[in-house]
Amino acid sequence: MKRSTIWILGLCLVLPLFGCRQQPEARLTFAIGGAPAELDVWEELVQRFSEQTGIAVEMLRQPTDSNQRRQGLLIPLKARQADPDVFLMDVVWLAQFSASGWLLPLDEDVSDQFLPRVVDLVDRRGGNLMALPVNVDAGLLYYRKDLLKRYGFAGPPATWAELASQAGTVQAGERGEHSGFWGYLWQGAEYEGLICDFLEVAASAGGGIVENGRFVLDRPANRRALAFLTGLIHDEAVSPPNTYTQMREEEVREAFQNGRALFERNWPYAWAQHQSAGSAVAGKVGIAPLPHFPGGEPAATLGGWHIGISRYTDTPEQARALVRYVTSFPVQKEMALRLGWNPGRRDVYRDPRVLAELPYLGQLREIFDHAVARPVLPYYNQLSQILQRHLNAALAGWVPPEEALRKAQAEIEAVTARYRTGRSR
Amino acid sequence: MKPAQDSRTALLFLLPLLLTVLIFIAAPVAGTIVESFFRDVTFLPRRFLGVDNFRSLLADRSFHQSVRFTLLFTFASVPLEVALGLIFALVLNRPLPGRGLLRAAVLVPWAIPAAVSGRTFELIYNYSYGLANYLVLTLGVSEAPVNWLGSSYGAFASLVIADAWRTTPFVAIILLAGLSAIPDELYDQATIDGATGLQQFARVTLPLLKPVLTVALLFRTIDALRVFDVAYVITGGGPGGSTNALSLYGYQYFLSGDFGYGSAISVVLFALALILSIFYVRLSGFGRVLT
Repeated sequence: MKRSTIWILGLCLVLPLFGCRQQPEARLTFAIGGAPAELDVWEELVQRFSEQTGIAVEMLRQPTDSNQRRQGLLIPLKARQADPDVFLMDVVWLAQFSASGWLLPLDEDVSDQFLPRVVDLVDRRGGNLMALPVNVDAGLLYYRKDLLKRYGFAGPPATWAELASQAGTVQAGERGEHSGFWGYLWQGAEYEGLICDFLEVAASAGGGIVENGRFVLDRPANRRALAFLTGLIHDEAVSPPNTYTQMREEEVREAFQNGRALFERNWPYAWAQHQSAGSAVAGKVGIAPLPHFPGGEPAATLGGWHIGISRYTDTPEQARALVRYVTSFPVQKEMALRLGWNPGRRDVYRDPRVLAELPYLGQLREIFDHAVARPVLPYYNQLSQILQRHLNAALAGWVPPEEALRKAQAEIEAVTARYRTGRSR
Repeated sequence: MKPAQDSRTALLFLLPLLLTVLIFIAAPVAGTIVESFFRDVTFLPRRFLGVDNFRSLLADRSFHQSVRFTLLFTFASVPLEVALGLIFALVLNRPLPGRGLLRAAVLVPWAIPAAVSGRTFELIYNYSYGLANYLVLTLGVSEAPVNWLGSSYGAFASLVIADAWRTTPFVAIILLAGLSAIPDELYDQATIDGATGLQQFARVTLPLLKPVLTVALLFRTIDALRVFDVAYVITGGGPGGSTNALSLYGYQYFLSGDFGYGSAISVVLFALALILSIFYVRLSGFGRVLT
């Protein structure tokens, strides 16, 4: 073989390694995920920002799936990459992201313009404002107005016992002509949504996951909540058997939208879908706060997306400008009108045009005031994974609620001990 | 060419392969093993832990559950896939009309990405509108729809079936290649000696197929241990964590920002695959065949 051939072959191998070097430039990278239609709106908003400020922005389109979005941010941040500069975070990632030192504090405290309960629960850390809510979510009860009326009920249930009994009556009545009809659909599959559903039922009985900074899972209110949820599937049988295997937001929404249920627990996004053309329940749906146990208060788990700036950004000033823009009144209003996103800003909830087009927003605002946050802890995800498995096993009827809670508590304590001391035992 | 020049040329041609193995396989594996001895959590300072991560795994009940599922899944799905694949291969090796077309058709499931076929099976098992319940109700086998994924046995069997559907063709094609390498004369001789079909299979086909069978077993075992897609898509690890495969469990820790613990889980998975591989190679004398 000729020497020159060897050299050429060698160069072919090595050259591509150098091909990816790029000149740094003052352009922002904004990571945002969602459905394609949502991303198109974002693209337009971001383009307008570039025109107004002269700051070039590259939009990093992420998938809809929240775990994949998280993975897409975790890797560059762990590697201390300058991009993406600005990104949206699920409310449950905030504690980890800020405890990892990945977020640049926002310099001016504009929190009084946002929903105070939301900002206080999740956006602050050590006196600094780390992120701002772009979109706020909370669990709601959707109900069929027409069916409640037909069966002689005055309105949506206030307590869980009322919910179960209304669901039972209507389900029995409807089954005659509609064999797949169910009283109450909610998210029980083994995933994050199960934690949200459990937490709001538990909170409405006075329970919760954290008490005075400690995990106290095995307590009467939580047992009561889990026993109630399990009973909905196995005793009252107003929720289908696949609640604990397949019921996630979209499965629940589709079934309700096809007219196959009386009640539905879901996030606010389902409202616009239920009202859309082709929906079997358009005009027949009402929303209400979720029921509670006697002596308790209605509770709704807080969800939503928050905007923050990467600690490793090479263009902090431009990044701040983008955050100011996204959280400004006109942009938040436009997102409410075009995407049906519930804004994090308070003033949008008073805007006459928004209220005219989204009549449920005033009611939502009240529900947000009852919002309960999932534990704001950097290792929340580990905790959630453990709890998901045990709650789901209880819903399957494999272990009694108190045993599931006790086991989850023991396992969570073992894991969190590793994070507290750094040495396992 | 002189021998020295020959081996230099050979090395040059092997270089891309060696580099690829080094950069994309050896380095990440070594990195993961190193990582498994550290506390590498995004929100805590990095610290050397020794074997503490592994000690924690020993006490971790979710980890036990994952190991149990992963091993059971491997021992249930691999024999099933190899047995079915062998039957397919034997049938396809016979002179059938349209054999070429059949052989191509058999490969279709293998060509479908696991996530896609997983989604298809999830729809089949769906409680409200799945094909399985449609059949059960139409044929009158059951009065009410069945929650296929609702019991631990059901969820387990559903995953094994979905996996077998997709990977049996792979085994069949490998074994088919082995079958077609067996000379026809051997069968002719066996027939003259008066051997029955079953005897021919046991004395001629199986021994000569052994090296290829080992390859198929090895590939499938390693793949089954690493099962991710079907469990992620069909059951999401549920119900109650009963189908939470080891790879899924490791992924959950990576996603949570705990890279040390996630790496320790990956190392255990790697060790399991290595042990089983060595076992197969020893058992079959495959190493001798290679040298």
